[in-house]
Amino acid sequence: MNRIFVLTPLIVLLIICIFSLAYLLSGKDPNKPPSALLNKDVPIFESSSLYNEKDIIKTKDIKNKKTLINFFASWCSPCKIEHPLFFEIRKKYPELYLLGFNHKDPTSDAKKYLKDDGNPYDFVGVDSDGLIALEFGVFGLPETYLINEDGKIIYKYMGPITMDILKNEIEPLL
Amino acid sequence: MKLSRFYKFLYIIILSFVFFTLKIFAVENIDERVKKLTLELRCMTCQNQSIYDSDAEFSNDIKKIVKNKLKAGESERDIKKFLVERYGEYILFRPLMNYNNIFLWSFPFILLIIGLFFVLIKSKRNKV
Repeated sequence: MNRIFVLTPLIVLLIICIFSLAYLLSGKDPNKPPSALLNKDVPIFESSSLYNEKDIIKTKDIKNKKTLINFFASWCSPCKIEHPLFFEIRKKYPELYLLGFNHKDPTSDAKKYLKDDGNPYDFVGVDSDGLIALEFGVFGLPETYLINEDGKIIYKYMGPITMDILKNEIEPLL
Repeated sequence: MKLSRFYKFLYIIILSFVFFTLKIFAVENIDERVKKLTLELRCMTCQNQSIYDSDAEFSNDIKKIVKNKLKAGESERDIKKFLVERYGEYILFRPLMNYNNIFLWSFPFILLIIGLFFVLIKSKRNKV
C-alpha cells in the first residue's frame, strides 16, 4: 500500500512531463496558433479594386478556382521581403488566382508600392478599414491563405513567405 | 394649471440635466463593459498582454469592434463567440467550458479526488 502512495504522484508527474515534452518537441509555436478558419469556408467578403472603385470582388467570384490570398500594405516591411515570391508563384502556377488585399493603406501609397515593386496579383482589393482582415482572422501583416476549389481555407501562413515555405508547405497543396 | 416662466425654465433645465447624465452614464457603462471584456482577451501580437492593456493596432481594432458590438446590443457571449470563430480560442485568456476542454477543467478536481482518497485511506490506517 505504501508503494502506491509513493508511486501515484510520481506517475502523475511523469504523465505531465511526457505531455509537456511531446508539445515542446512538436515544434509548435504557441505564439502562432493555427487558424480557427482552417478547413472552413472562406469568409464572406466584398471589396473594390484598388484601381477601379466600380470593379468589385466577392466571395462567390473565387469559387471553383484555387486562390492564394495575401494581405499586404505598403507600410509593412516584411511584405516587401515576400513580394518577389509572388512573381515566382505567378510564373510557375499561372492557373492559380492571386488575390491581394491592401490593408489599411492610403490608396496613393498602395499604388506607388505596386508600381515600384510590381503587381503580381490578379486582383488587388481594398481593405481600408481592416474589416476583411478581421473576417479572415488576420492579426499581423503579411498573412497568406490558400483556398481550394470548394472555397475552403486549406492553408494559412503568418509572416513573410520564404522560398522554403513555398516549396515545402504551399507547393504540395497546389 | 399654468406654470410660471421660471418653473418652465427650471423644468427644462432639470430634464436636460437628467438626459445628459443618463447619456454620460450609458457611455461610461459601455466603456466599463469594453474594459471588462477586453481584459479577458489576449493580444495576439504582444506577449502576455490583454487587449485592454495593449496599444497595438490589432488590439485597438478589437477594442473598437467590441465597443460597436456592445453598442449594437450584442451580448458578451456573442462577441466572444464572434472572436473565437475568427481567431480561435487562443484569443481567450480563460478557455471555454466545452467538450474539447473537459479534461483541462476537470483535471484539478480529479487530482483533488485522488488526493482526498489517499488522505482518507492514510487517516484510516493511522487510526488502526
